[in-house]
Amino acid sequence: MAIYRRSYASYSGALTPAWSRCLVLFRYCRQNLFRSKLQTGFFVLCFFYPLLCLIGVYLAHNLSFLERLGAARNQFAQIDNRFFFAFVNVQGTLAFLLTAFTGPGLISPDIANGSLPLYFCRPFSRAEYVLGKSSVLAILLSYITWIPGLVLFAVQASLAGAGWTWDHLWIAGSLVLSFWIWIAILSLLAMALSAWVKWRVVAGALLLAVLFFGAGFAQAINGVMRTESGHFFNISYLIATIWKTLFRMDVDLPISATEASVALLIYCAVCLLLLLRKVRAYEVVQ
Amino acid sequence: MNDQILFENVSKFYGEILGVNRVNLSIPRGITSLVGPNGSGKTTLMNLMTGLIRPTRGRIQVLGCRTDEPEKLFRILGYSTQFDSFPKGLTGYQFIYSYLRVGGRDSQDAEQLAWQAIERVNLAEAATRKIAGYSKGMRQRIRLAQALCHDPRVLVLDEPLNGLDPLARSEMIALFRAAAEQGCHVIISSHILHEVDMISDQVVLLSTGYVVAEGQIQSVRQEILEHPAQILIRCNRPRDLAAKMMESGHTIEVRIHNDERGLLIKTRDADGFYLMLNQMAVNGIDIESVAPADDDVNSVYEYLIGNEEVVR
Amino acid sequence: MTRPGLPRIDLGQINSVVRLEMKKILFARRGIWIYVLALLPLVLFTAYDFQASREQARRRQIANQSQRPLTYQDLLTVKSGMTNQEVIALLGRPALNFHWREQRAQGPDSFTDVAHERYHYSDGSNDLFVELSDGKVTDANIQTGNSLGEDSIVFASVFQFFYLRLAIFFGCLGIFMNLFRGEILDKSLHFYFLSPIRREALMIGKFLAGLLATCAIFLTSEFLQIAVFLWHFSPTVRDLYLYHNHGLEDSAAYLGVTALACLGYGAFFLVAGMLFRNPILPAAAILIWEAVNPFLPTLLKQFSIIYYLKSLCPVNIPSPPGTPPLLSLLISNSDPVAAPVAILGVFIMATLALYVSSLQVRRMEINYTSE
Repeated sequence: MAIYRRSYASYSGALTPAWSRCLVLFRYCRQNLFRSKLQTGFFVLCFFYPLLCLIGVYLAHNLSFLERLGAARNQFAQIDNRFFFAFVNVQGTLAFLLTAFTGPGLISPDIANGSLPLYFCRPFSRAEYVLGKSSVLAILLSYITWIPGLVLFAVQASLAGAGWTWDHLWIAGSLVLSFWIWIAILSLLAMALSAWVKWRVVAGALLLAVLFFGAGFAQAINGVMRTESGHFFNISYLIATIWKTLFRMDVDLPISATEASVALLIYCAVCLLLLLRKVRAYEVVQ
Repeated sequence: MNDQILFENVSKFYGEILGVNRVNLSIPRGITSLVGPNGSGKTTLMNLMTGLIRPTRGRIQVLGCRTDEPEKLFRILGYSTQFDSFPKGLTGYQFIYSYLRVGGRDSQDAEQLAWQAIERVNLAEAATRKIAGYSKGMRQRIRLAQALCHDPRVLVLDEPLNGLDPLARSEMIALFRAAAEQGCHVIISSHILHEVDMISDQVVLLSTGYVVAEGQIQSVRQEILEHPAQILIRCNRPRDLAAKMMESGHTIEVRIHNDERGLLIKTRDADGFYLMLNQMAVNGIDIESVAPADDDVNSVYEYLIGNEEVVR
Repeated sequence: MTRPGLPRIDLGQINSVVRLEMKKILFARRGIWIYVLALLPLVLFTAYDFQASREQARRRQIANQSQRPLTYQDLLTVKSGMTNQEVIALLGRPALNFHWREQRAQGPDSFTDVAHERYHYSDGSNDLFVELSDGKVTDANIQTGNSLGEDSIVFASVFQFFYLRLAIFFGCLGIFMNLFRGEILDKSLHFYFLSPIRREALMIGKFLAGLLATCAIFLTSEFLQIAVFLWHFSPTVRDLYLYHNHGLEDSAAYLGVTALACLGYGAFFLVAGMLFRNPILPAAAILIWEAVNPFLPTLLKQFSIIYYLKSLCPVNIPSPPGTPPLLSLLISNSDPVAAPVAILGVFIMATLALYVSSLQVRRMEINYTSE
């Protein structure tokens, strides 16, 4: 009988704490994301509008200087809920486009290459995996949404004074809440589609299709059935309804923010169910 | 030259990455093995030969056919690739039959040829099952059947013995030999050097995209003049034999076995060495056996590739 | 070793490719969503059909319960300010009559009773709701039933803005981009490239398979949509529409436009699938290009499929009053071309795209690792 000297010793160093283990995925995914020049370029482009808004806020508080240059006072936007609502709309759209670029590549390669068992043979749960992957989008989208939003609000607050800040503090809350709802929906949708179709490129196309096709189908339902219920199939309309309510926009809404929230919660639940079905350590091949 | 596969100054670059460079080859009938470590350019050479990729520079002709004319080329050529993937939802039989039909065979002809090929690779029982449920060896065999089904004059096989059990391997080797004996060009790439050594008529040795040697195994070996031949001798007085050999000047290195019953000699002049060995035997050294220690593909390969990875 | 009797090429080979590809397209599990795209409008029209039929049955029932048969002109005679006696004298006793009382506050401690009534009349096709307070008409509201004219405009809108621009667009994207790109991702394209078939013949075979499959799916759906759309109307109305009011021609035009859309978009997505690794960019670019078509100069408009298809659509969709000018421009077809020119335009665009595809397929290499 051959007796071999045991030379293998298991790793005995420090482990990443369990609570932050999912962020390991974020670290590696982020490296991959910025390898594409196109993606990096688009990410940089996403800061253009916040910068423009920042200039707008500054100019709005320096009207005397501008008047001396000959500009009319009413040429500059008033910094109120409408201003921040426009900001949410623009950055929300950019967030969607950024998700269409980055989201599909998060889970689909792992499923297509059969690498999920490699994750789950470690002390790493499915929930942690989904959380880790969604943190990639959440952190990335935060950079271009609520963080610049809050910076913008802070600049406005510092220029406008305590009175304005106290009266409009709710706008800061609305900014954060609006963007977080949108980020949660986009992350879940992107990951669910990417897990469902496996192919990164198709998942990206499907994400575009869900938004565009959903909007078209909603209009078709409204037209044919002479109703407003079609809007429930239009995710962008639903989120716009919530945003309008959060920013206290004075417009008539065919569906209430509560109804829109419930509809979006149902979409999120469906996405979670899809993820639950697809993100597994094994795959049934028929 | 319509009877050969010709590479004339062929280079292939994938962007900045080198696939193969300045390859000049002339592959005759019989079994030719492409040997080299991973990334040496074996599959690239095969893909170039079959027109799946186009050369960046140079010209390739397969029995007088250009590789950018698949409608002519694949009437005489069958290629079993390394890609382990198949069209979805097809059974083994449907797979062979469908592509014969795409190739222009009529229904009856395609059916007959498909079954013949399936029987040649011993897959008749599983032919009506979906390929998705095949084992690795079965998938390898159905790929071989697809390459063989139209009785090509040139068979290009990328690692054809991968995933096959020993019995299936010997069956397939017999199949390749039979094809070669019938006048086919059989081009095989393999990492299993022992088998290549057994079945090849010619070898092409590749390293980092360059052809480092080609020809019959023995002739390749002889061309490597700067590398000594290794000869293993079992005898009763190895130290005496070693001393005499070193005196002769043919020998550059001698290693005596631990059991003091044999020695390994490295020489630059194998013919001169063998003549001298005869004299030694006459002079009282009892020689049990003499055997070349390196006249196989692996040793040739080691010599030529030098300190690079040796694939076993 | 080569067998005598060289393999046939071209038509026979193309036919084999078409058959093999048709099976893959029509029966692939991953292609189910295309059926969903095609059938969604059908489901929508079926639901509407069901709802409209129920509404019609209800109106007929109310009309039958009326004291005397009413016409649409009768329903128009009721005006605000009339008394309940006058209404009954004009239209007879209502088939449905709801009444309730309201205690209306007059002061801190005084209330008055207000009697409310609602009369519901119907001529079998339209409803009249008469609201009365204390015996006087406060509101007379006529709800017209489904009219073929209005419904045909809704049908045309759904066809142009949903079916054509989204369902067929994305359906063609899914099918035609997959013809080559899907096989590259599946790592199975090399089997075709290893067959003795001209690459151009392979491309034509795949394109024809895609075209036949999309036509089969979307034309069937469109045909059923037309059938369902007309189903709930009376046979007289249907005959009048089909045989005396261009109904048949309109239906043929819808089917023709569907087929041409499959041809045009199919050719575009085939070439896009060969040229681009990531279909998102070309798909988004084509979608945006098609969407902004009305705003483009005439010369640029001609390089778009929707420009020609819109000209062939049989029903012009009027912009509702108050529509913003930009949206009106999107709805209306301000610069239509003659039908033969439009058909020729789609064919020329498709031929150009197929020509580029044939050049590209000749240059294609199998290099799955770069995907």
